[in-house]
Amino acid sequence: MSAETTRKRGIEARAALLDLMPRQEEAARRRLAELVENVAAKRPPTTSFSRFWILGSLQAKVTCAYLAYWLRSRWADAEERERLKSETHLKAALELLGTMGYLRGAVMKLGQMLATFPDALPDEFARLLPALHFEAPPMHYAMVREVFLDEFGKEPHELFASFGKEAFAAASLGQVHRARLHTGELVAVKIQYPGIARTIESDLKNLRLLMQPMRLGEDWGNVVAKLAEVERVLLAETDYLAEASFAQTVRDSFTPGEGIVIPRVYHDYSTRRVLTTEHLEGVHLEEFLDSAPSQEMRDRYTYLMTVATMRMLYRTHWLLADPNPGNYIFMPDGRLGLVDFGCTRQLSEEEWQMQVEVEDALLRRDEEEMERLVVKASLYDSAEQMGRERLELIGRVIRWQLEPWLSDGIFDFGDEDFFRRGMDAMIEVTRKGFMRGMPVHIWTTRFILGARGVVYRLKGRCDFQEIYRRESGRGGEESTMTSRNEASPPPEGEGQGGGR
Amino acid sequence: MRISEQAKQLCRARILEKAAELFAARGFDQTTTRDIALAVGVAAGTMFNYFPSKETMAMTMVNEALAQGREEFLTRLDGGESLEEELFLLIGTELRRLRPLRPFLGPVLERSLSPFPRKSVCPEGETARQEHLECVRQIMLRHGFVTTPEDVAGTIYWSLYLGILASWTGDQSDNQESSRALIDYAIRTFVQMISGAHRGGDHVR
Repeated sequence: MSAETTRKRGIEARAALLDLMPRQEEAARRRLAELVENVAAKRPPTTSFSRFWILGSLQAKVTCAYLAYWLRSRWADAEERERLKSETHLKAALELLGTMGYLRGAVMKLGQMLATFPDALPDEFARLLPALHFEAPPMHYAMVREVFLDEFGKEPHELFASFGKEAFAAASLGQVHRARLHTGELVAVKIQYPGIARTIESDLKNLRLLMQPMRLGEDWGNVVAKLAEVERVLLAETDYLAEASFAQTVRDSFTPGEGIVIPRVYHDYSTRRVLTTEHLEGVHLEEFLDSAPSQEMRDRYTYLMTVATMRMLYRTHWLLADPNPGNYIFMPDGRLGLVDFGCTRQLSEEEWQMQVEVEDALLRRDEEEMERLVVKASLYDSAEQMGRERLELIGRVIRWQLEPWLSDGIFDFGDEDFFRRGMDAMIEVTRKGFMRGMPVHIWTTRFILGARGVVYRLKGRCDFQEIYRRESGRGGEESTMTSRNEASPPPEGEGQGGGR
Repeated sequence: MRISEQAKQLCRARILEKAAELFAARGFDQTTTRDIALAVGVAAGTMFNYFPSKETMAMTMVNEALAQGREEFLTRLDGGESLEEELFLLIGTELRRLRPLRPFLGPVLERSLSPFPRKSVCPEGETARQEHLECVRQIMLRHGFVTTPEDVAGTIYWSLYLGILASWTGDQSDNQESSRALIDYAIRTFVQMISGAHRGGDHVR
């Protein structure tokens, strides 16, 4: 690469970074961009550890930019001295991001979670959301063999009829290999990177220590609670046996005719660190979109995704806490495959009650009750204590999240205006630093944003309310839970308001 | 009376076996040569004919385990491994063989393999070093790198290897999986360093 090209690339990277920063206050913006860039560009002593070096990838830079953006909102109005102090902390934070957990542990996820949302266009935003999933470093086959010896006392080629040495997909904590059982079935074998749980623990501990002096004010207690929540969910994700059991529960809640496929778990080939499931043929979102699918297909998959997530929510009170396009398999026969149930969160009785109360208030269009619930969810005692501005803004986000619940007929998730409104509200919330809330809302927000990002890109539509009524058994005159099992996706083109 | 070579071998094996049991049960430092002689049922003087010290006993066990590990390592190769993978496999296989000795290995390795100058060099420790490095040299040769145990690369490799051993002997995680990540990292560091190449590979997608 010539020096000129390198220089140009540098400028482009800089511009991309700047784009991710808040647009007001030019000077602060530039300084932050420089800071992020300097730390990001700094090479580790061993020159080219790009795979381990968290700041080495664009993805990581974006995460850093997010984090910077979020932290920045903390001192937007501070005095110069305060700013400099905060900047020092920020610099330390970014450097820590680079060195802590060369395993690229929880930080990537944290970056996204604490993260805020840039002034991106809806399309960019929809792409960014899922691009930010953290990954364990890749394992070569020698490592995989050692993991198998520890887990099964056997080598992969002894356990399986055949085993792909190269991974075919990344998973958040490891990677996935194709294999064939001696009985002939093609399977997907997810293998966890050794010791990742400890990395998550130590990374979060470091992050807590590091954030301590940043004086996050009255919300500090809430930040600590959220970090604990994140740690709990991430650590739960390291137990593949728990995931296997959850996948089985989900699988049992669908019938073959519904067009939704949850891969079967092969328990004899699964342990806490290795999970073997049926391999589903199909493509991921990108590839599906590249095939220029018809509106009917887009709608069909939107329908199936909605049914699938609602079934999980209303039947088991579980959220896919970390939905990303890789979880969806667009199968050649038009069925939807759902894979990877690692990062999930079950709502507690109290949290579920809250969900029910919000839905009730929403469907009754009881504004007073809605306000009470928004205050409660934000962990305030009263609307006065919460403050008008915060109440209005948080209310706006929650109402946007619930908008499909109130819309009759076909809901268009591809509507740019709808998507933009939601993102704008989220950006505003973050800009104001209104982060306080029940820890579980980290996941409900991710759940909704992740799913909305996918259906927005799908440009898909479905009769959301009808699905809601059927799956929840609530909110309508006819509670048709009993007929659920006969439900099948709408035949292509049926009553969908004319495809493009 | 002269005892047969076979009887000698049996006695030697029995000493090692009893010593391993005692080391594991009481700890290396808490076990005396007298304890071992008592357990074996031989006079202390007889035992010294076989092993001059308990360090020698422990390092003999270590060397035997490492040698078995290296032998097994060669049978596990399929020829398609990268340099990183071969080194990873070598260390992984050796450590698996060392695993039964792990409970008392810390102080033994610290004393016998220390790179710092010492008054008395443990000959078995030196053997362990030489044999391991020779195996590494062969692996590197297969991948186009020429090195001797005494050059900079050899020294750096040995430091990383000792770091791995130190971490592994004290590793409380299941199957010492934390050390597995460390081995991976250490080997990548080493290979990156000696090749000076901008490799690294992105994560599969």
